[in-house]
Amino acid sequence: MDQSTPTPHLKKVLCIEDEHFISELYARALTKAGYDVDVQLDGQKGLAAAQTDTYDIILLDLMVPNITGIEVLRTLRDSKQTPRFHGKVIITTNLEQRDDVRSDIEKQADGYLVKAEITPRQLVEFLTNLEPTPGQA
Amino acid sequence: MDFYTKYRKQLGQRTLLLIFAQQLLVVGAGWLLYESHQVTTIYMLIIISGLAIFGSILVAHLVTHISSEPVKKIWQAIQHIVPQGNPEPAPSLDDLRIGHELVANLANHVYQMASIVDDIEKTNTKQVKDIHTSFVANALPLPLIVLDKNDNVVYTNEVANQYFDVPVSELEGKNVYTAFDMSFANEQTVEAWLSDVRQNSVTANHAWERVRIGLPGQNNTKQFDLAAHYNKSNPMGYETMLVLFDHTEVYSQDDQAMSFVALSVHELRTPLTLLRGYIEVFDEELGPNLTPELRGFMQKMDASAQQLAAFVDNILNVAKIEDNQLTLQLHEEKWDEVLNTVIGDLSLRANVRGITIKTDIATDLPTVGVDRYSIYEVVANLLDNAIKYSKGTKEIHVTAILNKDGMVETSVKDFGLGIDGSILPHIFDKFYRNHRNRSQIGGTGLGLYLSHAIVQAHGGQISVSSKVDEGSTFSFTVLPYTKLADANKTGDTNGITRGAHGWIKNHSLYRD
Repeated sequence: MDQSTPTPHLKKVLCIEDEHFISELYARALTKAGYDVDVQLDGQKGLAAAQTDTYDIILLDLMVPNITGIEVLRTLRDSKQTPRFHGKVIITTNLEQRDDVRSDIEKQADGYLVKAEITPRQLVEFLTNLEPTPGQA
Repeated sequence: MDFYTKYRKQLGQRTLLLIFAQQLLVVGAGWLLYESHQVTTIYMLIIISGLAIFGSILVAHLVTHISSEPVKKIWQAIQHIVPQGNPEPAPSLDDLRIGHELVANLANHVYQMASIVDDIEKTNTKQVKDIHTSFVANALPLPLIVLDKNDNVVYTNEVANQYFDVPVSELEGKNVYTAFDMSFANEQTVEAWLSDVRQNSVTANHAWERVRIGLPGQNNTKQFDLAAHYNKSNPMGYETMLVLFDHTEVYSQDDQAMSFVALSVHELRTPLTLLRGYIEVFDEELGPNLTPELRGFMQKMDASAQQLAAFVDNILNVAKIEDNQLTLQLHEEKWDEVLNTVIGDLSLRANVRGITIKTDIATDLPTVGVDRYSIYEVVANLLDNAIKYSKGTKEIHVTAILNKDGMVETSVKDFGLGIDGSILPHIFDKFYRNHRNRSQIGGTGLGLYLSHAIVQAHGGQISVSSKVDEGSTFSFTVLPYTKLADANKTGDTNGITRGAHGWIKNHSLYRD
């Protein structure tokens, strides 16, 4: 990986987040860092967009309308779904989970961030440090 | 008995007949020799004696043969039904001269008994083999799943089928991990355990708490404890037995108790996320053009938002302490840096009241093993209290030393109100505050309770000494990192996770 490349290796980000101000802040910071960001405000539309498998990274809030983030995650990681989603799923939530529930979620996701504990800049740093999955462009 | 008497009678008759025939032969031969006048008396006696001896031998042989024939037939009949060895053909009774009925009757009894034994054996084997009809399996009032050596489901009892609401046909023969999507509280899953015991054990037992399984349908999650028995050499190939103890109701109530706090915290965190985001944007965009004063405000605003975020975490921590769920991520930290960070963030509040925080931190302190965020709360709470209770005095002293027990000991000393001796024993209780000052000074009464729990979870101790009108000193200890690493023994350089009730492993990402 060429560290000097200003463009991140995983470019397309889908932010599934119903709090508009938060998605706006995240999209602003990520766009400035060279990412291509789409935002979906509800779980159902978010899942439909994610299932096109055109995104490298999905930022997934757990408390979103229509379909919960957990359901979206489970569907995306279901091996029977076609087309199979190959990107990264990063949980971004402010909802505290029981430790065992959380570890269930972590097993299926590629990262778990508490939004109140990170700033948009720290989110960018986190995404930049993600290793691409083998076979992923 | 009739057959036996008849047999005895027949045998007696034959024997008598034979002896009579032999006697007749001897007497007849003697008479013929006597009439012929051709042999001398001596020779005649020799010939008759010889005939008598020969006749007796013949009679004995015939009697033996006749009398032993039935025994032979019975022996053959028994040999015929004995399972081991070379099986004899069933004896034919047609050539039997005497005792025909007796032998036929005995042989019949032997065959009957053999067939009864055979039936019992078959029934037994069937019962053991056919677990579907087994009383134990179906009378067990708990879901039971039996696996073969490839982790395929070979049997589920009726209770299990009802519990999962799935017919047997959809479960049997399937891989257990495909058929049941179980989730465990930690890495020690059934799969992990089985792969371990298969290598190292012939038989083993294990139990899990709070296992979850998602079933088809909305919100259809079952929660249960699970017990497993493994037996490598089970002759039927039933290698693993899983028994479930349903606790869906109880466990989901626990979840709901947490969820009130969790939802409140969620509502607090959303504006905090935004505040921190906007502060960062302003800092990035305007920072270089701001006056030093405004830039300072910006940083303090940022620090305050961070502090608030940390405090929100501690509301959760209190809930977790109550629920025995407090976990810390212990990392190697430089203690002077930790203390100075907290003091820096708290100094504004002190300065507003004209208070100076003086520090005396030993320069040769070892690094410590702490959860930065939790221990930050401890120091912040102690400083916050000291500021609140200083009552016009102008200094707070923070000292840190390596004490005689090899622990890093930190003290926060104020010169204010002090605490009455009668109150001191309760000072670390939840929601306890100095009654004398309740009306004058605000606070939640949560700080010391939380600090006490956090310090204890770190493996340290917290204490207080105080005199009314002279001030209070709160001291707590934390472990040097080397001691902590020794205690943990995993050599995990990524940090150590500690629960309030022992060591656990964790793989949380969110704090890094």
